[in-house]
Amino acid sequence: MKASSVRYLTGQGLKSIWTNRMMSFASFCIILVSLLMVGLSVLFSINLNRIIGGIEGKSEVIVQIKDDVDKKDQAELRKKLEAIPNVNKVEFYSKEKAWKNMLKGMTEEEKSFFQYADDNPLPDTYRITVVDIKKMNETTTQIDTFDSVESTKSPTAFADVLVSIRRVVAMISGAIVLALIIVCMIIISNTTRASVFARRKEINIMKYVGANNRFIRIPFFIEGMVVGIFAAGVALLLTMFAYNGLYSILNEDFKIWNILGVKSLYSFKDIFWPVTIAYAIAGAFIGAVGTSISIGKHLKV
Amino acid sequence: MVEFNDVSVTYSSGVDALHNVNLKINDGDFAFVVGPSGAGKSTLIKLILKEIDATSGTVLVNGFNLNKLRRRKIPKLRRTIGVVFQDFRLIPTMTVYENVAFVLRVIDAPVKYIKSRVPYVISLVGLSHKAKAYPTELSGGEQQRVALARALVNDPQLIIADEPTGNIDPALSYEIVDLLKGINECGTTILMVTHEHDLVRSFGGRIININKGSIAFDEFIGGSNES
Repeated sequence: MKASSVRYLTGQGLKSIWTNRMMSFASFCIILVSLLMVGLSVLFSINLNRIIGGIEGKSEVIVQIKDDVDKKDQAELRKKLEAIPNVNKVEFYSKEKAWKNMLKGMTEEEKSFFQYADDNPLPDTYRITVVDIKKMNETTTQIDTFDSVESTKSPTAFADVLVSIRRVVAMISGAIVLALIIVCMIIISNTTRASVFARRKEINIMKYVGANNRFIRIPFFIEGMVVGIFAAGVALLLTMFAYNGLYSILNEDFKIWNILGVKSLYSFKDIFWPVTIAYAIAGAFIGAVGTSISIGKHLKV
Repeated sequence: MVEFNDVSVTYSSGVDALHNVNLKINDGDFAFVVGPSGAGKSTLIKLILKEIDATSGTVLVNGFNLNKLRRRKIPKLRRTIGVVFQDFRLIPTMTVYENVAFVLRVIDAPVKYIKSRVPYVISLVGLSHKAKAYPTELSGGEQQRVALARALVNDPQLIIADEPTGNIDPALSYEIVDLLKGINECGTTILMVTHEHDLVRSFGGRIININKGSIAFDEFIGGSNES
């Protein structure tokens, strides 16, 4: 195809957005609403995932070190712990610090009982956070085999609950997003079909004068794509306003995440580019492909 | 050149639209196709444009064997044929110029050629002053002349005019047939389907009468306005 034809067809596509403005506006609105519904659901889902991830990150494995292990062996153990792929962070917690903290949480009566104890009965520990909570059990078993380790304590039951919650949340949010995508696709396909149906005579005439399918499809494709990108732009602005509004309520006014002690929500700044790119691609794809699929049936003349 | 050999068409509804039609229209012919409604005239045109396939028999059009022509090659066939419809079928969102130029855009004609050819063809049908008008701003006769300009702009081998005078004033009908005759004199084959017997009698020429799916007669008659 010559460059002049490409220019012509692109021009025709852009022109027909205006000439068929009512139908273009209908497609625009439908794509906009669809992107907002799916986009906001995805954002809700990834934030929920992040919150659960934050809680998971707080789950620690406590590694008690044998009393007779000297500083050199402790350092050796640390190296071994850090070498385990599922270990995220290793933090030393001395027995003195643990003893002080324990006394802090006691009543005066209890404190007086322990005050004159000759020896600190608590062990030195390493506190470990893991990368994948699902493998916490496996990691704990491995640590147990190290010589310098007296014992390990890990919230495996809690970890299992978190894993289950994450799975259920992923399934439910995935199902909601999928259902929304299907509903949106049906609505979009009906709108584009109606838009194309209104122009079936035009397509018919093009076929009679010898236009091939590609020649007929390209302007529709460009028209759909441009409408989709416009819808994506507006969806991005609306998402930004809605998200930032909610973010300030949840993150700043309520300080709710600090109370829970978990990672805060993503700020819109963090997710601006992924959201922009996802909206632009989805908008352009829905607009272009939706329209060109809808004209398929009218091309069989 | 159009050639039908033992062509029959039976629609899926069971209607026998054409049976065993044998017909040959040579290059440069001007033929009127007449006959009552439902006789099979539209089926004949649909076959030539490969809108439908023959149930049996062979159809040859402008060197294409339509029985063997693949769907994706249909545009190539149609680019050798100009079609004028009773209801004009102009693209409402395009101006007169754009409607006519569209046919050349389809065949990827050079822009320079489009710019010289389109105004020339529009002038042939006497509508230079309406080149920038939209179809809705034109009368029926003018719209049909635009359709005629569109049909001949890429210099087709064959022009099919399907009741081209059906939606316009009788006085203008003669004008349209005059234009078609003029185009025919330049060598283009014309096949004109019509109901208007007066028009046929007046111009004369080859008359193909179709009745109940068969060719009732195929003869040359002299026109009353022929000198």
